Amino acid sequence: MYPKAKQAWLLLAALVILALPPMQRFLEQSMVMHMLVQIPALAIIGWMIGKILPENWKNNIAPWNRWGITGIALAIIIMTYWMLPRVQDAAISEWPVELTKFITVPIMGMALGISWPQLNPIAQGVLKLEFWATFMRLGWLYLDLPDRLCANYLLSDQRVFGQLLLLAGSIWAVAWTLRITFGIKIINN
Amino acid sequence: MSTTEVSSKIEYSDSENRNALIAVKSHLIAGLLVFLLMMLAGLAMRAAQGTWLEIGADLFYQIMTVHGAGVVGAAMITSTGVQWYFLRQYVRLSNGVFWTNFFIFLTGVVLILGSIFVGKYGGAWTFLFPLPAISMGAWSAGAAAAFQLGLLIIGVGFLILYLDFGRAILARYGSLARALGLTQLFGKEPVNYKHPAAVVASTMVLIVNFMGIAAGAVVLVMGLVNLFYPEFKPDALLMKNLIYFFGHVVINATIYASVIAVYELLPRYTGRPWKTNKPFYAAWFAIVFMVMGVYPHHLLMDFPMPTWALITAQVLSFGSGLPVLVVTGYGALMIVYRSGITWSTSAKLLFLSMFGWAAGVIPAILDAMVTVNRTFHNTLWVPGHFHFYLLLGLLPMLIGFAYFLAGEGDRKERPKAVDSLGFYAYLIGAFMTSMVFLASGANSIPRRWAVHLPEWIGFAQAGTIAASLVVLGMLLFITRALISLPGANNPR
Repeated sequence: MYPKAKQAWLLLAALVILALPPMQRFLEQSMVMHMLVQIPALAIIGWMIGKILPENWKNNIAPWNRWGITGIALAIIIMTYWMLPRVQDAAISEWPVELTKFITVPIMGMALGISWPQLNPIAQGVLKLEFWATFMRLGWLYLDLPDRLCANYLLSDQRVFGQLLLLAGSIWAVAWTLRITFGIKIINN
Repeated sequence: MSTTEVSSKIEYSDSENRNALIAVKSHLIAGLLVFLLMMLAGLAMRAAQGTWLEIGADLFYQIMTVHGAGVVGAAMITSTGVQWYFLRQYVRLSNGVFWTNFFIFLTGVVLILGSIFVGKYGGAWTFLFPLPAISMGAWSAGAAAAFQLGLLIIGVGFLILYLDFGRAILARYGSLARALGLTQLFGKEPVNYKHPAAVVASTMVLIVNFMGIAAGAVVLVMGLVNLFYPEFKPDALLMKNLIYFFGHVVINATIYASVIAVYELLPRYTGRPWKTNKPFYAAWFAIVFMVMGVYPHHLLMDFPMPTWALITAQVLSFGSGLPVLVVTGYGALMIVYRSGITWSTSAKLLFLSMFGWAAGVIPAILDAMVTVNRTFHNTLWVPGHFHFYLLLGLLPMLIGFAYFLAGEGDRKERPKAVDSLGFYAYLIGAFMTSMVFLASGANSIPRRWAVHLPEWIGFAQAGTIAASLVVLGMLLFITRALISLPGANNPR
């Protein structure tokens, strides 16, 4: 395991690499790369930053984040915002929006990383099912909608994205089902 | 005497037990009251078809919508009360979550009632795409949305409850497979005859309802998108598949949740244990898949459906009821036979439910044959099946449990005259209601028609008389429940 300082530098480096113009252009040239690679990568970086935050920072946040509710609410708001197609468009054409994305999506990941373990298992289950349902609903919508949702991406790109969301949702459902059907004591009473 | 002993039952504090009892009674009373109201709605519809009551077509379809959605909702909330009462004895369940679901349910009910009686939504519980969005002015998109939102909210409440079931079952048994008894079935563990039937049944219900609600969560939102963005036209057949998967699984699961009352109470009344064994586990394992696989028998007339799906639906529908029905029906007969059982109203109702369940599936099996289905499916034959199944299979389990909870079993008393009157009025009325529906179907009388042709009116009038008897019986049961239940102690 890397020491925390080294991990912090690695995460910062990853964030900078993602922000480099060639990398940015590469990851934003298709809807699939934008939504399924760049944004999840930013969120994962945020999640990992949350893990290595200094203890006193975590202690200061804790009273404001009882049972993880505030953090999860923040994460859901940010997530919902970045699911709007016109915001994706704006991020490509306007640098202040792009900058906002590079700040808020890691914050979303961080909020999720800090809050998820504190969240009641029932609330975790509801959110997991809601995330899964969102994959399926959006996948279906992107596949069936007659119009382009993003001015910057082709209809065919939108359809591929829809198919991939449905595929990811299906894999998730099967994995989850197998885990709780055959898994061994995953929750302690 | 309690004979379903299990090695270790869960201990709760007295205040938790008191609170739990109030919660279960609230579920029962609310559910049974909704059932009574829905029966009155059904009576009104039959009387209107029989020309004994004047109801406009728009109001008829609103009543039909509330009747369909209301009965499913009442079945869900009441059967969940039964299931939760017994399951909490074997796994540690949360009273808070149980109450949360109850209040979320009531919120959903308010939305649904508002959508129907204020917003005039009359597109049936099935909310089949694209009907909710093309009412031709009968109702607004907002009313249809409120209806679907109400269903969605109720689904979320149940999802929370099932997550608590899942958490508690996994905490005690480690995996759903073990809770279902699969480790015993496949020889990984020795057979434990005291493995609680309530846990096996609840695990099955948890799995299928979780899947059903997940499908509902997707299809309801897609319907909402279509209401407000009509350019989005989802595949109608896919929508129908998901709606019927959701609806069929959810209503079908209510009987599997309620049958726990038979497993738990008949042993008390007969003094003989209900032992779980390999055939029992095998039956419940099979039914997990069958309950999820049979719904396409509602789509046998949709010619674009893949042939393999229709054949599977037909085959599974033939076998669907059988595994659990056989082990439960046979088990019930065996523990009652020469047991010297006292035929209390509760015992009679639970035993009647075995008949209703067994006989109620026969019209469904007939209707699941493609050739029969082409002629019968859009007739009153299908309401004949589900009224038989629900009135004589499901409801006797629920009312029998209410009698048990009211303390009838403890007092070992013989049924009072009013109970016997209620029982026989209900039995005869329910049987007649179902048979009149089946006879109407056999005579090609269509279902979901507000106005009937003169040739059909006789059937509707006979149905009205039968429905009146059902209402009389239910009224007597409900009065008894309202008088006895609130003050009754937890049965020993």
